[in-house]
Amino acid sequence: MADVTVIGQGIFLRGSIKGDGDVEIRGRIEGDVEVAGEVTIGEGALVKADVTARRITVRGAVAGNLTGEDGVRLEEGARVVGDLRGAGIGIAEGALLRGNVQTGTGGESRGRARQQAAPARAPARVERVEPRKAPALVPKGTAGRKAAAAEERPAPPPPVVPVLKKGSRAALRKRSR
Amino acid sequence: MARTSSTSHGETAVLGKGTNLRGRIAGDGDLRVEGTISGDVALKGHLTVDGGAEITADVQARSVVVEGAIEGDISAQEAVAIRAGARVSGAIRGASISIEEGATVNGRIDADFELPPELGGKGGR
Amino acid sequence: MANTVISQGITIEGELTTDDDVVIEGTLRGKLVSKDTVKVETGAVIEADITASSLSVGGQITGNVTASDRVDLMPGARLIGDVKASRLTIADGASFKGNVDMDV
Repeated sequence: MADVTVIGQGIFLRGSIKGDGDVEIRGRIEGDVEVAGEVTIGEGALVKADVTARRITVRGAVAGNLTGEDGVRLEEGARVVGDLRGAGIGIAEGALLRGNVQTGTGGESRGRARQQAAPARAPARVERVEPRKAPALVPKGTAGRKAAAAEERPAPPPPVVPVLKKGSRAALRKRSR
Repeated sequence: MARTSSTSHGETAVLGKGTNLRGRIAGDGDLRVEGTISGDVALKGHLTVDGGAEITADVQARSVVVEGAIEGDISAQEAVAIRAGARVSGAIRGASISIEEGATVNGRIDADFELPPELGGKGGR
Repeated sequence: MANTVISQGITIEGELTTDDDVVIEGTLRGKLVSKDTVKVETGAVIEADITASSLSVGGQITGNVTASDRVDLMPGARLIGDVKASRLTIADGASFKGNVDMDV
């Protein structure tokens, strides 16, 4: 359970998510997602980013390319403008796509994901975050997310979305606050 | 070698397994392809491409179900369903497009919809 | 054995080669070669040479037909072309214009 990073519904993240572990996106992202685990893009999510992961499941809206080494699946309600690449690609009736589809194990994408996974033994970090204009968008619901200690990063601007460190007791302590 | 004595008039045409067509097919009604075609298919009805079938050309129909192989563009007014085991190489266009995981697909899909405004679209489908 | 049916609203242009027995109700322009039987139904319009094991004609054919076994022209059939077959029947009401070679 501690392994999943969740970008909550009221979050707007501008930046990138990289590393191991799984990511569940329910809010809004502009940037880049590259993880070794599974990425799930929820129904109301708005993703303007290329996503590279072991497996990608989409129920929301995406403008960007999706590369899932094991597979990419668009469920009903998904709206995607971008290219799909993966060992297996599933598109349910009711999912909408505009882009190229290529099934088969792309050696390129696999290599890229592995390269990223190896050095990033550290949990998924959030990088290159820009300060957001409307701090009001950061909900008090940050408590609702599995938030890692802001102490993890050197510069802690409030709008930033910190990410859970695996098995971090500090994080658990913060969450129960 | 049982042959149905009452062939449905104007309904489902069948291009049997042992049949190869070098040429085009056009017309009303439905067509099930079990053999091979190298030439365009343009139907007003439904097109089914069976497991062992191979079509090398563009196909156009009201709706299309593919279990075999198509090398060419697929264009449907209604639904296109690509089943697991199918091999499709070409552009796919239709009101609704579904692909089962396990299909081999290499091509472009163009559904008609708008992304929400936050992602640069005009919003609402 | 598989069965090929070209139904009424369908037009085929090209070369059809098959092991199947074939039933044509629609339109064929080109060439048909079947190792099995071919049945040209009433209403079918064929502009093609046909080769089959046996051929039964109820519709219209403009082209040469060759059958290893037999050719039967039914009432209402119209054949314009040569026939090569060991057996041939032309029913009353069928119309035929062409040469016949039964020395197969």
